[in-house]
Formats: sequence, structure tokens, C-alpha cells
Amino acid sequence: MTSITANGGPSYISAGYTLRSWLTTRDHKRIALLYLVSILFFFVIAAVAAAMIRIELLTPAGDLVDDDTYNKLFTVHGVVMVWFFLIPSIPATFGNFLIPLMIGAKDVAFPRLNLASWYVYTLGGLFVVGTLIAGGVDTGWTFYTPYTTMFSNSHVIAAVTGVFIVGFSSIFTGLNFIVTVHQMRAPGMTWFRLPLFVWAHYATSLVMVLATPVLAMTLALIAIERLLGVGIFDPALGGDPLLFQHLFWFYSHPAVYIMILPAMGVVSEVIACFARKPIFGYRFMVYSLLAIAAVGFMVWGHHMFVSGQSMYAGMVFSLLSFLVAIPSAIKVFNWTATLYKGSIHFDAPMLYALGFIGLFMMGGITGIWLAALAADVHLTDTYFVVAHFHYIMVGGAVMAFFAALHFWWPKVTGRLYPDGWARAGAIVMFVGFNLTFFPQYIAGFLGMPRRYHAYPDEFQVLNVLSSGGAVVLGVGYLLPLLYLGWSLRRGRLAGANPWGATGLEWQTPSPPPPDNFASPPRVEGPPYAYHAEQAAGDSHGR
Amino acid sequence: MAADSTPAIVASHFSDADNQETAATLGMWIFLATEVLFFGVLFAGYAVTRLIHPEAFGNGGRHTDVLLGSINTAILLTSSLTMGLAVRASSVGWRRSSVTWLTLSAILGVAFLVIKGYEWYHESLEGLLPGPGFDYSGPDVPGVELFFFLYFTMTGAHAVHLSIGILVVASVAVLAARDKFSADYHTPVVLTGLYWHFIDVVWIFLYPLFYLVSRS
Amino acid sequence: MSAQRQANAVTATAPDKASGSPPERAPPAWPYWLTWLALLALQALNLGSAYLPLGPFNLVINVGISIVKTLLVMTIFMHLARSSAVMRIAAVAGFFFLAVLLGLSLGDYLTRPT
Repeated sequence: MTSITANGGPSYISAGYTLRSWLTTRDHKRIALLYLVSILFFFVIAAVAAAMIRIELLTPAGDLVDDDTYNKLFTVHGVVMVWFFLIPSIPATFGNFLIPLMIGAKDVAFPRLNLASWYVYTLGGLFVVGTLIAGGVDTGWTFYTPYTTMFSNSHVIAAVTGVFIVGFSSIFTGLNFIVTVHQMRAPGMTWFRLPLFVWAHYATSLVMVLATPVLAMTLALIAIERLLGVGIFDPALGGDPLLFQHLFWFYSHPAVYIMILPAMGVVSEVIACFARKPIFGYRFMVYSLLAIAAVGFMVWGHHMFVSGQSMYAGMVFSLLSFLVAIPSAIKVFNWTATLYKGSIHFDAPMLYALGFIGLFMMGGITGIWLAALAADVHLTDTYFVVAHFHYIMVGGAVMAFFAALHFWWPKVTGRLYPDGWARAGAIVMFVGFNLTFFPQYIAGFLGMPRRYHAYPDEFQVLNVLSSGGAVVLGVGYLLPLLYLGWSLRRGRLAGANPWGATGLEWQTPSPPPPDNFASPPRVEGPPYAYHAEQAAGDSHGR
Repeated sequence: MAADSTPAIVASHFSDADNQETAATLGMWIFLATEVLFFGVLFAGYAVTRLIHPEAFGNGGRHTDVLLGSINTAILLTSSLTMGLAVRASSVGWRRSSVTWLTLSAILGVAFLVIKGYEWYHESLEGLLPGPGFDYSGPDVPGVELFFFLYFTMTGAHAVHLSIGILVVASVAVLAARDKFSADYHTPVVLTGLYWHFIDVVWIFLYPLFYLVSRS
Repeated sequence: MSAQRQANAVTATAPDKASGSPPERAPPAWPYWLTWLALLALQALNLGSAYLPLGPFNLVINVGISIVKTLLVMTIFMHLARSSAVMRIAAVAGFFFLAVLLGLSLGDYLTRPT
């Protein structure tokens, strides 16, 4: 990796080579890399679980693993993917690395809290790994009562403790980002000059901070009920299991917005850069991010349409769920309008971002179908739902993560990767993704239930297609690992701004010095000051 | 590097002392918002459970010690007064005054815990601790047991937060006695005050929900 | 400059180190004492009203008084009365979304067929 910055001083990487200097760092850029390594570790665990699931589902009979083991597999896949990969993926890595740079600051507001958040994440992760080694947990990532509190014979308390702990990592990160954006902006960096990446993380942080505490207490109540045999969820004791679902989903629906909002921020940065155009409708993009965050708190009951919830509550949640789709749609329209008459370059980050737009849109629209009460009666708990959320989480959020990885890799490492391989990887991932998950829409619509390790013969063809697609998708994930790893030693040195992008992070060397900027930058104008090669169309996006 | 005009107590990534203090205060308010939602789950559980078991909550509610609970409420409200005066004293650099008010606040907090512990002890002797030993002879035992489950859980969570608060107040009092604060820098006292008042707010809601149910 | 600092800051050019030294201009103490008395009065009201047979209104009064007490503590003791808009929004945000949780959950329970 490049060791010397343009002004001759050390980069944040070469500023110290000892393990101790990394483990006691307060530099947001180093903390971002600590997170990057950790989330990669957990992604592998969850991906292995997914691989075993897809192998099992090649045949209708439950012949690879028994049913309890299968339950443990999809549980570990969900728990690890949601809390140890997706939620921290963009915010804790790219958010941490880039937010201070993008706003012209030296670091986040609370650097020690930032480091603490990584240690808390790691501690939570240890509990989950411990749970796995001890034999796993079989409740599903949703921990529904009364199974978790009364009937499961697996390591529920260890698992919920791990998730309880990692929740505080989220809270610390969110709190840090909010205060950072309020207090640490460089002179001239007014709110409406902030890159959308920063706004997206601000909105995400609001959700992290307000929703996660609810999860924490709810999980604590599960542990108490399981340990002491008393609690408010047990119907035999006069409690209500639906209360658990209300409390759980009050967090877990906003949690999916924690997973997608940062991705939307990434996509805005990449689209603007590779269309050489300012984002269309900047203010609407900002308001949409905030609206998604706020309204996202009011729709959780759409996970409970068939649970016994009142029909009237169902109607209210259904209506609110339709409404929350509107700001997302506005964003998709605006990205498309940004592309219109832009000067489009199909570099790897752009391929991932374009893939995001299409796949997020498909996932989002199928969400509308699920939000329709009558349709949901048929589709709930089928593979249709599984396909829906994987389109958004994997086709959306994970692709955006790869877009971010490819866009900012030169900034983080100071190296360029081979673009032929990178573009090929993006296409392989896109194809593999669709092969894996599109058949699941059909299987679900035809009635295949989720979380079953055996299924009727008529669904086998679709499952084989899906499992085959998963192999291609796996190749798509493996390729970047190889060529990005290669680039660390052999990649061409990147300059400060290899993409010709706007944004303060590109005004400092690659990799940046520990204090980010030689002197505090001053911001004079709006973001995305790109000029498309065609003159028309650049009156947008003020 | 910090410019020469900023005092050494400002961390290098902040532009000035005011920037640092505002950041810290905003951070504490956001933390308190998380606490509202953390406790909020229990309040939601209370609301739903009381809706399902109205009479049981009334019956259970009559078994809490309204005298001790009311005294404790007055103690906590007074501790908010003393804490407010401590922050005020600290804001103008009055060392002795701030140490006195901080110490009083901690003492009142300890008094609260002692009384609370006494209440719990007697309630458990009466068989009101939920679990295998629960022993209540009136109607709707499950509902009453749920009332007490929420009572012990919520006052317990409150007591844990209060205990942490007492330790923090005591530590800040020691720092204040060692002259670590001034009119220009007393942020830890401000933040401690905010946390302390928040604990009071939680109790302000707990008091009627557990002590004033069905007294008429 | 936060309003709170402007309200509290005294024009001391040198850091204040003397022990309990000469009185500087401090913000007045009477708002704290008065708020304390009001809080105790409200508590007495709360306690007293609990012994009146008002049916469901007992709960309404209880929660209402708690809200008033909370507003007093937050505006006076926690200085929200002279804080910036950002602090006030942060202070209220938790309660707002808690209200969403309570409102929509109770909305379910209250509209179930009996």
C-alpha cells in the first residue's frame, strides 16, 4: 500500500505498524478498516450457512441435515447477516471512513466512542460465535415467543445476549455520526451542501439511535422470561405473544431502513460521478431520506397481518406501508433523471449502482404487493417474502456495498484495481443474484413456505435453479476478494482523485494522512459540481 | 495541533471549547433519547398488560407501599433540585458550593435506594416476588403476578440507572473537589445533571403507575 | 455559541481556581427552588387525587400530572428553555417515537374483536 502522502508525511496506514497502534487507534479511518475485516469474517460465516441451506434445498427431501439443524442454519444466517454484516456494512466501514472527510473534519465527534463501538461489536460477535460452537440457536432471527421463551432447547439466551450487546455498537455509531454532522462541518459546509452520502448516514443514524434500544429491552425480556419463567409474553401467565411481535418489529422494520439508507447514499455519489452530472432534485433526495427514516417507524405491523393483530390495525399499517414507498420511489426517479443526458461511464462502481437501482426497484415493488392485506394472506411466510427482502438486502444493499468498495478503494488503499476484472465481477454478481432469487418469487407465489427444510416435489426445479444461481453469486463475491487483494501489492498507485469526482474526500491524498487535511478546507459551492459533456440538462440538482 | 488561543482541555479535532461542549451536550441528549425508548418498551408492556388485566392491576397496585413510594418521589425530586443547584454553582466556578450540592444529590440518591430496597425486601417476604415463590391469595393471580413482574423489572431497571448515576455524581464531586472544573469548563457536571434529571423523569412516570393504581 | 453558555458564562479571563472564591455573577437560583416547590405540589395533587373515585380519569390525571412534572424538569432543570432547537428536538424525539409505539400498539389491542 502507498505509504507516503503527497506532502511527504505518513498516511493513516503507515502512521503506525504495530498491532497495538491499530487496536488502540482513535483514527476513524483505522476503525473503519477494523470493521471491514470483522464484517468480512461474519459474512463468511453467514454465507457458509446459506450455502448449506441451498445445498439442502437441491432436493425436496430433508436429507442433508435434520430439521433442527436446518432451523439453526437459517437462524445463524439471519442473525449474522442482519446484525453482524448488513447493519454495520456501509455505516461502520465507509460511513466511518468517509463522513469526517466529506464534511472537512479531522475525525468524528467522539473518537474513543467510535473505537468502543468496534469492541462492543466484537464482544457481541464473540457471544454469537460462542452460541454457534455450543450448538446453535434454532428460533429464526426473529426470536418469536413463546418458542424462544418456553419451548426451544437451543442456546437462546446466549444468542439474544450477543445481539443485545451488538445493538449498542449501532447506538454508539449512530450517536457519533449525528453529533459529528451537527458539530464538525468545515466552514462553508452548510447542511444543503452536504453530499447525499452524509445525509443518508444522518438519517440512518436517527433510526439506529431511536430503534435499537427497543430491540435491546425486548431481547432482555425474552431472556428474563426464559430464565425466570415469568413475563409479559407468556399466554399461560396472562401475557401476550403478540406484544413481543409489536416490540420486535418496532425495531426490526426500521432496521431494514438502517440497512438500505446508507446504500442509497452510496448510489447517489456513484451515479453523480459516473454520469458526470449533479444529482437531480437534491433537496427532494434529502427530504426523501428523512421521510423514509421517519415513516419507517410507523409500518411495523405489516409483518403481523396474519398474526391475530386487529384488522383495523392491519389496514392502518398497510396504508402507512404504501406511503413509505413513495419517498423511495422518488429516489429511483431522481437517479434515473440524473442518468438522463448524463455522460455515462460504465466503470465497476457504476455497474454495481445501476444493478442496485433495478434490483432495489423490483424488491421494493414486491414489497407493495406484500403490503396489500389480502395478497399478504397468501404470500406471507412463503418464499415470495424471502425473495422480496433478498432483492432489497442483497440486490440492493450488498450491491451498493460493493459499489462503495470499488468507488472508494483507491482512496482507502491508494491503489487501483484492474477494471476489466472488476466489471466482469459486477456482471457475474448481477447474473448470479437474479438466478438465485428470481425463482424464489415464483416458488413463493406458487405456495412454497419459507423455513422448511423439505418441500413438495413440484418446487424442485425452481430450487435447483436457485441453488445453481447461488454458485454463480458465490463466484461474484469471490472475484473481488481476489483482485482487490491483488491490488494491495500490485495495483497501480491511485492519485488523490482517480475518478475525477467532486467531494472533499477526493481533495486529500490517497490514502489520506491521519488528520485528513493539511489545512481545514473551505467549501464554496454546492455538491456534485460535475459538468456533463453535453451542455443540456445541467440546470438540475441545485 | 490546537491553536494557541484554545485552552489545553479542548481535543484537537474540535474547533474550540464551545464546539466541544455543544457536541458533548448534544451527545448526552441523544443518549437520553435512547434511554426513553429503552424504558419505553417496559412502559408499552405495562400499558398493554394493564389493558388486558385492569382489575388485577388495581388489586396488585394496592399492595405497594404508597407512603414509602411518595417519600421516595419527594426525595428524588429534591435531588433534582440539588443537582440543578450543583450545575449552576459549577457554571460559575463555585467549587465548594458545587461539591456540596453534588454530594447532597448523591446522598439523596442513596436514601432512595435504601428505601426502595426496604420495600422490595418486604414485598418479597409477602410472597409478591414473581416466580416460583409467588404467593397471592386474591383473584386473577396471573394478572397480579404480571403487575409485580413489571413493578420489579421497571423499578429495578430504574434502580440500576440510579446506582450508576450515584457513582457518576460521586466521581464528579471528587473531581470538582480537586478543582478540575471552572466556569470555562464544567461539561462533565452538565452532562451528569442531564442524566440525573432524566432518571428523575423516569420515576415521575413510575410513581403513579405503581403506587397510585386503584387507591380510591 | 449555545444560548446556555451565554446565559451561564461569566466574563472570567483567567480560569477560576480559587476555592469557593468571591461570588461571580451566577444565574438566579429562585427558578430552581420554585420549580422544586411546584413539583412537590404536583406530587401532592397526584397523591390526593388518587384517593378520589374518578374512574378512568384517575389514570388520565396521573399521567397528565407526570407530563407536567416532566416538562418542568426538562425546561427548568435541564435548561431546555434556553437551549438550541437541536437540543430540544433531541429531547423530544424519543418521546415522539415512544408515542408512536404506544399509539399503534394500543390501537391494535383496542380494536380487536372482543
